[in-house]
Amino acid sequence: MRTKKVLATAALIATGALLTGCSGGPTGDDGEVTITYGVWAGTQTPAMEAIAAAFEEENPGINVEVQEQPWPQYWSTLQTGAQGGTAPDAFWMLAQQIRPYAAGGQLLDITDAVESEGVDLANYPQAVLDLYDQGDGAIYGLPKDFDTNGVWFNKELFDAAGVDYPSPDWTWDDFRETARALTTDDVWGIAAPIDPQGGYYNTIYQAGGQVISDDGTTATIDSPEAVEGIKFWTDLQADGSSPTLQQLSDTEAVTMFEQGKVAMYMSGSFWALQFYNNEEFRPKVDVAPLPTGPAGQANITSGIANVGFAGTDHPEEVTKFLLFASGERAAQIQAETGAVLPAFEGTQQGWIDAMPEFENLQVFIDAVDYAVPLPVQGNAAQWQGLQTEYLTPAWNGETSAEEAAEQYAAAIDEVLAADR
Amino acid sequence: MSTQTREPVRSAKRRRTGVSNRTDWWALVMIAPATIGLAVLYLWPFASTFLTSFMNVPAFGPGQFTGLDNYARLLTDGDFWRALRNSGLYTGLVLLGIPIAIVLAALIQQVSRGRAIYRVLFFLPVVTLPVAVGMVWRFILNGDFGLFNWALSLFGIPGQYWVADDRFTIYAFAAVGIWMTLGINLIILGAGLQSIPMDLYEASSLDGAGRIRQFFSITLPLLSPTIFFVMILSVISALQMFDLVFVMLGSINNTAIDGSKTIVYLFYEAGFVQFRQGDAAAIAMVLLIIIMAATAVQFRLQKKWVVYE
Amino acid sequence: MSSIAVRATAPGRPAPSRRGEWRIHVILVVAAALMVVPFVWEILASFKTNAEVSSLPPTILPEQPSVRGYATFFDSVPFWAQFGVSAASLVMRVVGQVLVAALAGYAFARLRFPGRNLLFVIFLLMLMVPSQLFLLGQFEIIRDVGLLNTIPALAIPGIFSAFGTFLMRQAFITMPREYEEAARLDGAGPVRTFWSVMLPMARPTVAALAVLTSLYSWNDLLWPLIVTPTGDARPLPVGLASMQGQFGTDYPALMAGALICTVPLVLVFLFLQRQFFAGIASSGLKG
Repeated sequence: MRTKKVLATAALIATGALLTGCSGGPTGDDGEVTITYGVWAGTQTPAMEAIAAAFEEENPGINVEVQEQPWPQYWSTLQTGAQGGTAPDAFWMLAQQIRPYAAGGQLLDITDAVESEGVDLANYPQAVLDLYDQGDGAIYGLPKDFDTNGVWFNKELFDAAGVDYPSPDWTWDDFRETARALTTDDVWGIAAPIDPQGGYYNTIYQAGGQVISDDGTTATIDSPEAVEGIKFWTDLQADGSSPTLQQLSDTEAVTMFEQGKVAMYMSGSFWALQFYNNEEFRPKVDVAPLPTGPAGQANITSGIANVGFAGTDHPEEVTKFLLFASGERAAQIQAETGAVLPAFEGTQQGWIDAMPEFENLQVFIDAVDYAVPLPVQGNAAQWQGLQTEYLTPAWNGETSAEEAAEQYAAAIDEVLAADR
Repeated sequence: MSTQTREPVRSAKRRRTGVSNRTDWWALVMIAPATIGLAVLYLWPFASTFLTSFMNVPAFGPGQFTGLDNYARLLTDGDFWRALRNSGLYTGLVLLGIPIAIVLAALIQQVSRGRAIYRVLFFLPVVTLPVAVGMVWRFILNGDFGLFNWALSLFGIPGQYWVADDRFTIYAFAAVGIWMTLGINLIILGAGLQSIPMDLYEASSLDGAGRIRQFFSITLPLLSPTIFFVMILSVISALQMFDLVFVMLGSINNTAIDGSKTIVYLFYEAGFVQFRQGDAAAIAMVLLIIIMAATAVQFRLQKKWVVYE
Repeated sequence: MSSIAVRATAPGRPAPSRRGEWRIHVILVVAAALMVVPFVWEILASFKTNAEVSSLPPTILPEQPSVRGYATFFDSVPFWAQFGVSAASLVMRVVGQVLVAALAGYAFARLRFPGRNLLFVIFLLMLMVPSQLFLLGQFEIIRDVGLLNTIPALAIPGIFSAFGTFLMRQAFITMPREYEEAARLDGAGPVRTFWSVMLPMARPTVAALAVLTSLYSWNDLLWPLIVTPTGDARPLPVGLASMQGQFGTDYPALMAGALICTVPLVLVFLFLQRQFFAGIASSGLKG
């Protein structure tokens, strides 16, 4: 008897689900258009929803639905969606991922709209625009935000160790010394994972090296200068100022930093809101500029771009939305919510003001003066994916930085060659 | 197996009741939904994967036939062999869970109280989301503050980075894999134990056989068909393991990932992360061949150890 | 068959001596504890703070119990909506699969039609094919019929199962033919015979299939990720997985989420444990 009841209920739910499921499809009867906006899940979602709402207000008849995808599955789902013609109409793109999509004709070309709507590209950081330039003269997307790096640090741990807070003009030597001085039995001075954008790319340029040659054909990560930049990190590992790679694999650097296990974390501006939202942690956090290297200052910059799907049913509306989502009003929304440093010129102050308890956020904006675009030549996702394999032995002290860099350079060359 | 033993009985009956050899047309109606569904949702995708495995498919756009290139590349790829080794090791280790399940099932059989509770407790992991299982174990096996290493330290055993050191990851997956499937094996094997006729034990007791000897001379042989069934299922599902690797390795920054990939992880990576669908299809086909071979070998070997009444 | 009856009829069965039984209990309790500790640890950690979960040596009970982890989970995952999706797709898949598989299983077991053996072999072969191999093709079909982002999309491929068909066939083939023949003599056609005589007799196997299918349906991650790119028709595992991201690891929130997503199926299991066990046991025995 009980089984019967269960089955009956079950059947009912199933029928209900069928009905609701089928009515959930895209609507279009009353001339309204719904476009989807794919983003990966995180602290920015409320801001993205606010942007969608603001756009809908300005453009009656167009609805924007924000679709969150978990980060670990974002790219695989996007790829499947694009291949199947069901990718979101508009979505976030990263510079190291754009190439196959652009080359495969999957992205909406918005060059004409940019011109006809009078979008002034000077409003965007040139370095970020360059990242998305595919060399075919087309514009596929406009920067939504940008990021530079700083040294996040935990004031409480500095105080406990009696170490002075970093001064704005600190050098590599100061940095190393500080890291060592902060290291105790329970705390490490710095987290030194194999992190390109927030880590060793910066020091490679600070040492006067670069990752890939200017013409994009060969890896230069094995030049003496670049190796110097890599050694910056392997040295920190070697002298015990950082948790080992294994420890950082077990618990990501950012989590260790939030747990108060490491005192300094060199990484991007995009962490600001997460740290700010963590109320226990907020009062302890401050940020300093990157240290100056042997060849001067350098700071890797990148940013997310809003791009459109070539297979969309509503290219006009999507283009309109893309321009809006990378425009001034959307930038202001991103700034006011503290979501992320907006790319649009002149809106960045709002981001700083949104998190008044973080006093030194200006360092991220100052860094624009010496910013270097993230190296993304060729199939960047592919050669970047090889870094763990080749660099781990150097970080673990099993091989020298020179040797690891040499082998990695050869592997990158192979990828670059295959791409051409 | 039961098919073959039943067949004669059945045709004899048919003849007796005079149903003869005519077609049951209703059968076609009854079988249609399953057959159509299978053809459309399984056979067709299978065929397309099979074809894709001989093609070079760019990220977007049509592929080109390249013959056996994908397979040739696979066989010379170190990653593939490492993944094969990892999957093999994982499968072998997970099989160790079967003796554990047998012993526990037999022990549960022997107690007069609390059977239901034991069964429920052992079964809990089976009804837990694999994603959740992976998260919880990743936390417990954390090298720095995980419960497991702390427990080891109480015995003076140094801890390891179980999910961040590729010397240990497969063992960690296997331990969790055993933990996750113990309950289901226990129930199947327990049912097998229930069906062993009582009088066999009685008779052997009269002959003076102790419990241990009874276990080896009666329980194991009579349980062997069930053990065989559990083995077949375990091997197939172990070779297809994906969720655990995916969740337990956590982020892509885990330096142990390269050394911890299984076959299906490799497939996922090629097909859904790296735009290499031809390679992914070839990996899937190879996995199919491995599973079929493993199953065939087990069926071969069963003659040596499985006892049918 | 109750254990008391067993002991009454078979005193020689290796079990009964109450005196020695505590030793067995010791082993079983230790083993059961090993099974349960992770859950206990999960519950405890879900009430700890982020700093406390990483403290050394670990604390057992939360020092400053906090439900912040739960709040974070409910903030970032639309739990009830996803729960509804999970439940609805589960029911659809289970009911559909049992029906389709039982019909086909019966036909394979009892009815004659041309090509039966060949078809059955194809079904069996499909059993061995790793499910990942079907993913892309299935996605294309679901897309082409316009079902993306719907609950049916989650359920449909699972409805057609070679495994289910195989299991049901095994159940029917071992049943005595007398019942059917009696029904047939009463004038029942194959459909009625199937529906009112055979299917009821296959209840244990139906339960087994329902149980196993429920588990698969509730736990599936990869397929839902692919066919439900929008948020409306996403089941729980996707929500849970989305919490583990590039933003570091918030263990209390992860543990809270893992726990909450697990509870529904555990509750169902506790209420229907007898059916669960009987079902799974029968799936093994019929092999």
